[in-house]
Amino acid sequence: MSYYDIDSILTDAEKIPCTFQFDIPDLGYLDNNPGQTLKTGARVGLPLWLAEMLAIANTGNIGPDDQGKSFVAFDLPPALGNDVVQALKADPRAVPIRDQSAHFYSLATHMMDLSEEPELSTVLRKTFVTRAGEIALHARKAGGGGSGKGGASEEGSNLGVGGAGEEFLRGLDEWERKLFRKAHDGARSGKEWMEGVKKF
Amino acid sequence: MALPLPPGLTQAEVAFVAEMELVTIVPRQRLESIDLLSGKTPVLRPPHRAELPLWLALLLKKQRRANIVPPSWLHPASLTEIILRETKENPAAFSPPPPPPSRAHPREPGRARRLAESDANLSPPFQPSCTAEAPAGYLPYHWLEVAEALLAHAGDDMPVPAGEVRSLLRDLVEVRAAKMRSSTSQLEGFGGGLMSLRGVGAMELAESRGFVLGVVDGVRKIGASAEATRREEEELGGGRNDDDDESDDDMGI
Repeated sequence: MSYYDIDSILTDAEKIPCTFQFDIPDLGYLDNNPGQTLKTGARVGLPLWLAEMLAIANTGNIGPDDQGKSFVAFDLPPALGNDVVQALKADPRAVPIRDQSAHFYSLATHMMDLSEEPELSTVLRKTFVTRAGEIALHARKAGGGGSGKGGASEEGSNLGVGGAGEEFLRGLDEWERKLFRKAHDGARSGKEWMEGVKKF
Repeated sequence: MALPLPPGLTQAEVAFVAEMELVTIVPRQRLESIDLLSGKTPVLRPPHRAELPLWLALLLKKQRRANIVPPSWLHPASLTEIILRETKENPAAFSPPPPPPSRAHPREPGRARRLAESDANLSPPFQPSCTAEAPAGYLPYHWLEVAEALLAHAGDDMPVPAGEVRSLLRDLVEVRAAKMRSSTSQLEGFGGGLMSLRGVGAMELAESRGFVLGVVDGVRKIGASAEATRREEEELGGGRNDDDDESDDDMGI
């Protein structure tokens, strides 16, 4: 992930559930105990950039018992939880990903960088490709009300894509929105060119 | 750098490049040969046909000094056959591009050899695929641009009413666009994802370039960490035949 990339910065701001593995003095306010130490085992939601730094850094063999244990242990965020994965396996197109997280794919990729998740990888790949096909269809339909192939709704007006289409488009995350924009631009400029070919 | 245009050619640029294609015209007036950068144009002596670049042909047509002969693949019968091939016979791939021009081998009956000996002339605007002698039933690389240009400016030279050809063209565009969209679905499987784009036209590429690149890039990012681990395992596992790179001798295999 690049340092200056806006999407990367926004992704790193997502909260990840972390479990502290040490007692940390004076950080009790994170767990609604201001003024107290933060006990081992406390679960707090930390932003990804902080969780990553704390999880990878370790104590470096200070005492006899902790042999380089990391400060926190993190789990997958609820956006990538098991029920979401099962829903995606069942029908990728019906899940409004944006409701889980606006930076769903970005977040998932970053988490997969940190910990091994082979199942998540395959499910996400399939989801992305399936939804991409759907996105292309909507992009072309929204592009100019052309005779869209296999459109679910028959109200091919030039202004909108019909009810079911809007639902789907509302549930797109950032990566998919960019994809939609690219597909839509391509279709639109194609149609513009076809209209304009008469002007010599 | 804030260059707003995405990588690749825009539709207008593709149309401009397509105007280099040679088309056959029937001149109505005499015209001497003109020295162009790409060579001298043939001398125009009506009623003999001649081959000129599309832009020059359109100019002459506008000045009513020539008529353009549409290529044989633009005929409705040919277009219908191509549509049939796209939908029924070969729904997974695009129709094949036209074969390069060839002549019968003089000494071996039944075998043909390519006319252009060097490979330098085998790329699209320089292949004679939009002239009247182009084979019917194949869509050349610049089919959409040339077809639209001919319909718009030389519609009266068509053997059939232009409206008929136009509607067939629109159908063909829709069919191929749908095919292009579904071609990315082959990326689902792991480690795979080669889409054969043989036979795709230039305008279709310009339209779907952004989308296809986006999908491929997304898939790459999703699989990036798995790919990295797989590569590490391969290196650990036994790659004794790595040329340079870090030597893993202390890994103790």
